[in-house]
Amino acid sequence: HLQVQTLLRERLCHQQLPQRPEGVDSQHKHLMELLKRTAVHGESNSVLIIGPRGTGKTQLLRCVLAELLAEEDVDKTLLQVHLNGLLQTDDRIALKEITRQLSLENVVGDQVFGSFAENLAFLLEALKKGDRSSSRPVLFILDEFDLFAHHKNQTLLYNLLDVSQSAQTPVAVVGLTCRLDVLELLEKRVKSRFSHRQIHLLPSLSFSQYLQAVQAQLHLPDTTFPDTTFCYDWNASLKVDKSVEAVLLRHFNSTKDFRSLHRLLMAILCRVSVNNPTIKPADLLDASRLLSADAMTNVLHGLSILELCLVIAMKHLNDIYDGEPFNLQMVYNEFKRFLQRKSNSLYNFELPVVMKAFEHLQQLEVVRPVDAAAAVAARAQREYQLVRLMLDHSQIMEALQKYPQCPTDVKQWAASAFG
Amino acid sequence: MARYLTRNRLRRIYKWGGFPVSHDRKLKTDEYDSLHISLEDLPRTTVITNGQYILIEGVDDDHPYVAKVTKLIESDKKKKALVQWFARVGEVPPNKLKLLGREPHPQEIFYYEGPTCEDEIDVESILNTVQVHQSLLDDLRSSSDEEEEPQEEEEEEEEEFCASQASMRTPRKTPVKKATPTTPRTPRHATPSIPSRSLPARQPGSALEEARARLHVSSVPESLPCREQEFQDIYNFVESKVMDGTGGCMYISGVPGTGKTATVHEVIRSLQRASDADDVPAFNFIEINGMKMTDPHQAYVQILQKLTGQKATPDHAAALLEKRFSHAGPKKESTVLLVDELDLLWTRKQNVMYNLFDWPTRRHGRLVVLTIANTMDLPERIMINRVASRLGLTRMSFQPYSFKQLQQIIMSRLNKVKAFEEDALQLVSRKVAALSGDARRCLDICRRATEICEHTSLDPGAPGLVGMSHVMQALDEMFSSAYVTAIRCASVQEQLFLRSVLMEFRRLGLEEATFQQVLVQHQALCRVEGLQPPSVSEALAACQRLGACRLLLLEPSRLGVLQRVRLNVSQDDVLYALKAE
Repeated sequence: HLQVQTLLRERLCHQQLPQRPEGVDSQHKHLMELLKRTAVHGESNSVLIIGPRGTGKTQLLRCVLAELLAEEDVDKTLLQVHLNGLLQTDDRIALKEITRQLSLENVVGDQVFGSFAENLAFLLEALKKGDRSSSRPVLFILDEFDLFAHHKNQTLLYNLLDVSQSAQTPVAVVGLTCRLDVLELLEKRVKSRFSHRQIHLLPSLSFSQYLQAVQAQLHLPDTTFPDTTFCYDWNASLKVDKSVEAVLLRHFNSTKDFRSLHRLLMAILCRVSVNNPTIKPADLLDASRLLSADAMTNVLHGLSILELCLVIAMKHLNDIYDGEPFNLQMVYNEFKRFLQRKSNSLYNFELPVVMKAFEHLQQLEVVRPVDAAAAVAARAQREYQLVRLMLDHSQIMEALQKYPQCPTDVKQWAASAFG
Repeated sequence: MARYLTRNRLRRIYKWGGFPVSHDRKLKTDEYDSLHISLEDLPRTTVITNGQYILIEGVDDDHPYVAKVTKLIESDKKKKALVQWFARVGEVPPNKLKLLGREPHPQEIFYYEGPTCEDEIDVESILNTVQVHQSLLDDLRSSSDEEEEPQEEEEEEEEEFCASQASMRTPRKTPVKKATPTTPRTPRHATPSIPSRSLPARQPGSALEEARARLHVSSVPESLPCREQEFQDIYNFVESKVMDGTGGCMYISGVPGTGKTATVHEVIRSLQRASDADDVPAFNFIEINGMKMTDPHQAYVQILQKLTGQKATPDHAAALLEKRFSHAGPKKESTVLLVDELDLLWTRKQNVMYNLFDWPTRRHGRLVVLTIANTMDLPERIMINRVASRLGLTRMSFQPYSFKQLQQIIMSRLNKVKAFEEDALQLVSRKVAALSGDARRCLDICRRATEICEHTSLDPGAPGLVGMSHVMQALDEMFSSAYVTAIRCASVQEQLFLRSVLMEFRRLGLEEATFQQVLVQHQALCRVEGLQPPSVSEALAACQRLGACRLLLLEPSRLGVLQRVRLNVSQDDVLYALKAE
């Protein structure tokens, strides 16, 4: 069963490229033709690939590149530069990275010499000297394109797009982004130089296609897998019954993209072991419950009774004061009122102990100070700093239902402030 | 003897061997013929004489530099040596190594003739001697500045030094004055170039490919159609200034894509042709671009470099240019300077722009400045009075193209290549003229239309003309905003969330709501639709996904359930997208 693990993990976690990504044929063709024209004919172009997170933009690009580089003459001529807006946060760093990746002559070993101005002048000079028929085309891939638009003056974008519109070295500028309004970020000069080609990757799967995709993801290849009986049993157990369909429908309604599907399938895969060699619907149910559990409710389960009472007191204060911020003293007063009136089981805690519990809640970000800077400067006394509760009432009630050994009077207090 | 890797701090003592051989009265230096290096407390001394190869402290202890001593001198009580540098294999840039044509030996060193390294070094940085063998290899001469003569090098390990492995490894106790430049290997003579391809690019084959090549923005024609008047005005201005030998300023404005830079280039080309035919005195043409600089003051550096080839710091360059344009020089040519994207040269004190417009007013400057920017009222808006007055009133404004002009541009580019249907061209021109009048946009859409025509044609050999349908598809692709499609392709929970946002806005009567309020609506809506209401985390995740696409505008997510939500799409669009289900 180890091979199952390796094979499926490779598929799910390591972003192994599928032969052809499904449902994106026209986009694949569009991008492929564009890059082929740059590589073979020396025609400069620029294109943006736009799509929500997890829909396969980088995967599409990598598929197209893999197919393109399979041809030998393209592989030998095309130069590639990969930039990422999260890594190259400044034009200076981006320039050094471009120079390093292109191995221009001012690079020795791994070190790029020269100041920012010199690097820019050098790169522009190098690109200017080239021409369509005799220079190797350069492919610039800009991941997180919208972050490049936040650099000062957008100089890098302007220069790259200007090269793509001049009779210089043929370049192809491919930007990947998830923002639909990315063109509004570009300055008018940069926008004019951009060719406005956009490839939209919008997931348009129906539920039945989604189910088929799930089965395809978990399917073991009959031909290459060594243990054929195991493979056959495994594939046979992948049929979809009612409960499985219900769970997958819930997941599909929440999000259609494949990244979260892979997360779900990984959770299931982790349960497969020597003792447990097949997938059962119960596994899927458990995995789904794990992934869709509320994060803050889980945090609340780990609180002490005192902290829980403070949270309930804050809930009541929210009801009374209609969402206005409060401070520790007010919470403590509310808590004392509960102790006096109703509580039999709880000890009458002192203020310093309550304050410690309150600070713990603050560390967990269950409460947040209204004005973070003042909290750090600690201008006001700690008990009188205003804070807000970051939980929704439904989360508190849900947590209380499942809280182990919760005292009944606390539960009753949570339900109603007066009773 | 056993060798220890201890870092014993042994000081090296340098002494001249014998008396000075000669004395140079002008430079006040004494020349010696040998140098003795001894380690503290150790009997052995190394003697270095002229012509020996030595190791010099390098960037780190494992990579010393290699050089050959040519002279040993003492000046101002400091011991110095003149050397001839050699480069080790690791210091040569990889593309120069490729010129060698073979794999270099790891111990190989190369004769370094770059004039960028100082030949004088402080004697205290000499570590040890080294033996160099010249092997019988072919003399390979490369065409670049660095002459390379392959020579084999052999390290001489000193067995007698017991305390440390090799003398290279003893760290210096006394600080070494780096008389040598710290990075003598900076490739000062690097030539900027992109490698060239082995097979030439394929030429366009069919008519459509030919059309596509011509319609590319970069294939600027010799003479721009529809800009004849502007061409004439600029030509007259520059010609008159150059013929008179005076200076002047001109400000050219217009929205992007109206042919400003292309027209100026055309003017310069024809003036250069005229000066070749001796109708017009010779002149220099320089071009700088505000966007291609990292800092406004780099303008001085670039102008100086393009005028005289000198490299200098911005301040020094400014001073040199000031001197050049203020004083009369013999047989000085006029200089025509094109400043593109002028608004980026703005600084708070505006001294770059001031200088650029002041130098033409000097009598002996002979500088003609043509500036290009996008806004017509740039001088009034961002320039202080004295700068705007020096810019003067010679202004020219390039209007956006009308649809007839765009049509003419495309036709002249295609120039008898039959690729487009008449009405298809008209549609594109009208559409683009109505929106921006940007020629680049028009050309790109036409190019995309040819691509679509090629792909969708049933017979790949004979794609036919580009028709209305192709053009409309191209327009659709390049002008659309995908918000409506994105909402339609969103998941069920995301669509419900958008609907609850709308409901909450209607309830509050505002354009903004907190996530908590929207969540209440969302859960109610789920119950109405018969779906299981999502947990708070799931709803937050759906909200974040919508925010990442910018269908919603969100506050930072550290605010959790308290973050405020706004719509980035109009409410009607959302309703339209959700209704069509």
